[in-house]
Amino acid sequence: MFRVDLHPTHVSDCGKFRLRVGKPLPFGASIVPGGVNFSVYSRSATSCKLALFNKHEPKPFSVITFKDEFRIGNVFTMVVFDLDYENLEYGFYMEGPFDAREGHRFDKTRVLMDPYAKAIGGRDVWGKQPDWNDMYQHRARIIFDDFDWENDHPLETPVEDLIFYETHVRGFTQNPSSGVKHPGTFSGIREKIPYLKELGINCIELMPIHEFDEFENSRISPTTGKTLYNYWGYSNVGFFAPKAGFAATGKFGMQVDECKTLIRELHKNGIEVILDVVFNHTAEGNERGPYISYRGIDNKTYYLLTPEGYYFNFSGCGNTLNCNNPIVRNMILDCLRYWAADYHVDGFRFDLASILGRDQNGAPMHSPPLLETLAFDPILGKCKLIAEAWDAGGLYQVGCFPAWGRWAEWNGKYRDDLRRFLKGEPNMLGAMAQRLQGSPDLYQMAGRGATASINFVTAHDGFTLYDMVAYNGKHNEANGENNGDGSNDNYSWNCGWEGESTDPQVNRLRIKQMKNAVAMLLVSQGTPMLLAGDEMANTQWGNNNAYCQDNEISWIDWSLLDKNKELFNFFKNMIAFRRAHPVLRNRGHFQNRDYMGSGFADITWHGQKAWNVDWSEESRCLAFMLCGMHAKGGTVDDNSVYVAMNMHWEMHGFEMPQLPDYMEWAVFANTDAAPPHDIWVPGKEVGLASQKEFLVGPRSVVILVGRDKKKKSRKES
Amino acid sequence: MEISTTTQNGVTVTSFSGSLDGGTVSDAQDKIMPLISSKISMVLDLKECKYVSSAGLRLLLLAAKQLSTQGGVLVLSGLSDEVKDVMEMTGFSNFFKMFDCVASAVEALAKEG
Repeated sequence: MFRVDLHPTHVSDCGKFRLRVGKPLPFGASIVPGGVNFSVYSRSATSCKLALFNKHEPKPFSVITFKDEFRIGNVFTMVVFDLDYENLEYGFYMEGPFDAREGHRFDKTRVLMDPYAKAIGGRDVWGKQPDWNDMYQHRARIIFDDFDWENDHPLETPVEDLIFYETHVRGFTQNPSSGVKHPGTFSGIREKIPYLKELGINCIELMPIHEFDEFENSRISPTTGKTLYNYWGYSNVGFFAPKAGFAATGKFGMQVDECKTLIRELHKNGIEVILDVVFNHTAEGNERGPYISYRGIDNKTYYLLTPEGYYFNFSGCGNTLNCNNPIVRNMILDCLRYWAADYHVDGFRFDLASILGRDQNGAPMHSPPLLETLAFDPILGKCKLIAEAWDAGGLYQVGCFPAWGRWAEWNGKYRDDLRRFLKGEPNMLGAMAQRLQGSPDLYQMAGRGATASINFVTAHDGFTLYDMVAYNGKHNEANGENNGDGSNDNYSWNCGWEGESTDPQVNRLRIKQMKNAVAMLLVSQGTPMLLAGDEMANTQWGNNNAYCQDNEISWIDWSLLDKNKELFNFFKNMIAFRRAHPVLRNRGHFQNRDYMGSGFADITWHGQKAWNVDWSEESRCLAFMLCGMHAKGGTVDDNSVYVAMNMHWEMHGFEMPQLPDYMEWAVFANTDAAPPHDIWVPGKEVGLASQKEFLVGPRSVVILVGRDKKKKSRKES
Repeated sequence: MEISTTTQNGVTVTSFSGSLDGGTVSDAQDKIMPLISSKISMVLDLKECKYVSSAGLRLLLLAAKQLSTQGGVLVLSGLSDEVKDVMEMTGFSNFFKMFDCVASAVEALAKEG
């Protein structure tokens, strides 16, 4: 069909390009019939030029001024016809005041990246030295947005049924021991899908995959002599573009297709994808940082500034994105909608999310409009929204993050309490009881269910599970900061020797402690998150802040899988057990009463004596029983589950609650036992000779299923 | 970029040589799409094609889908390992049957009739 607006109305000053006024929305570069529509916002720029480059070339082949009639409000927009946009990179020159006290830092000599760039060149291959003389380091590109999803759809698995698995795209397969064809890439993860399925997880949470600069703050470690990188990538260059260096096809500019293909294939295999998103700051740093985009396009809009015009630093990374400015708020919304609609991602984990609730002066808000907007947005309506409910400016909101019934939280208290209980600290039973129930002490008053709690023992930030049982203190010397970086509050215990040990008793205890941790995590209400590699006892040699270590410290060592088959098997069966038993996956909190007429309340507490817990300071024995008839609020029937946890260093007998005559207790897991008696395949549990008491070894967890003697126990949910 | 078309055993064989990228794809599209007008079997031979870009892969997919809606079938032959690999990683390979050479592609299509 012919349209009147397909025809150019203007010619560029150089006479080479035909133009017409563009559409202000959507922002960014959009392919339109015959050309490309460019649109960029700036409130304070007095003029704007479009710089067009051939791919990889240092100088633009053309610079086109946005004519006065191409500005609509505060948006510069035009269509440029007849561009070979596959071979194109573009940027903007913005002219405006430089007045730091007023918040303006325009510099008309800089080429600025489009904040809405859908692909970004300049770091096409991870770690490849760029040309530092290049005036335009991070180069906006135009993508084909015609990916064939083959009927794919986000999976919309209820959050309580998920088992998160957090990993780093590069670190997951970069170690040669991974055995994949394309290490360290989206494709590498795709090659590991059979492994993920065998493990049984159904949700992968990817650490930042938005374009970042691995060379940001790159330096040589004085300790190891190795190059340190911005490896984790919590520092966005662009919010709409996948990291080219994470794609094996990044050198061909096809990272968008590769990333989408990974998501499509994960979905085909029943695995959801959650992205770790970083909206609290950008890679431009403070006033001494580089001009990449936002600073030169509209500094005052994009950043929180002090009255003197310096950058507030609530992120600990030099600047703070002005999240509750309406323009930035819309950009964040556009970004999340884009990843949800165009990449089919299933949800987002928001790094330092408390910053998203600060007003334009940096003060925490009661009902932050950004968080409310995201909670009620129609396009994000089925996405999981997960907050890291604190920031580096001292705001800690675990339990009180503004949620509107939509937001879940990384439960930092869960991690700390479980670790303290695990290492045998006194006076932990009360707190632990709350954590096992989905932390009603934190969430129930606010009307939030167990699903508000993302439970975890380990995450990328901190010790790996193995290091948590092998190191008392952090060992971050390789980071080159005199071991001053990273958390000191690890609640870890080395089991008697700091670091690698040849003592078989120490090593046995470590394996057992890891099993204890994952057993308790996977029988807790709320949604569990595992750190990739923990299932094979991956180590970072005590480094609890490996943000800059692009080497064996961070890369998962897949050879450990062979060495630690026992642990992998334990993880696998614990995951299968959780997925088989809906009684472990309630949405709401327990009512502490028998509303099903089963003779048992939904949850009951026990100790060395059934129905009788010693809650005193020195007690380290706790058991609970979940009644199967109350599974998922009584809507489904399940076996009952009994969990005995003895974190004392001596063995104790635990008296089990007595089941009706037609039922029996059978043992599913006993971390004190050597394989193969440490864990059974769900549904194949072994009946117990004694139905009265179970001897729970020192520092051990025992899990029993209460099943109908005739039916045996459930295999699948 | 050069494109030539022959018929072998009732199968249309179109061969590309040169690069199939943003600079040539429009020309290639103008030449291929008119061939896709009826229920035909078609081999696109890329043996002499040095480089296939994202735009090039999209043209291949567009041609395959277009032909499929008309009851025909399009297969590829002579792809380099690198192009095959890129197609695999970016999801394009899901939509194509690929053969090492024109002869085996023609044989397979001729059998299907």
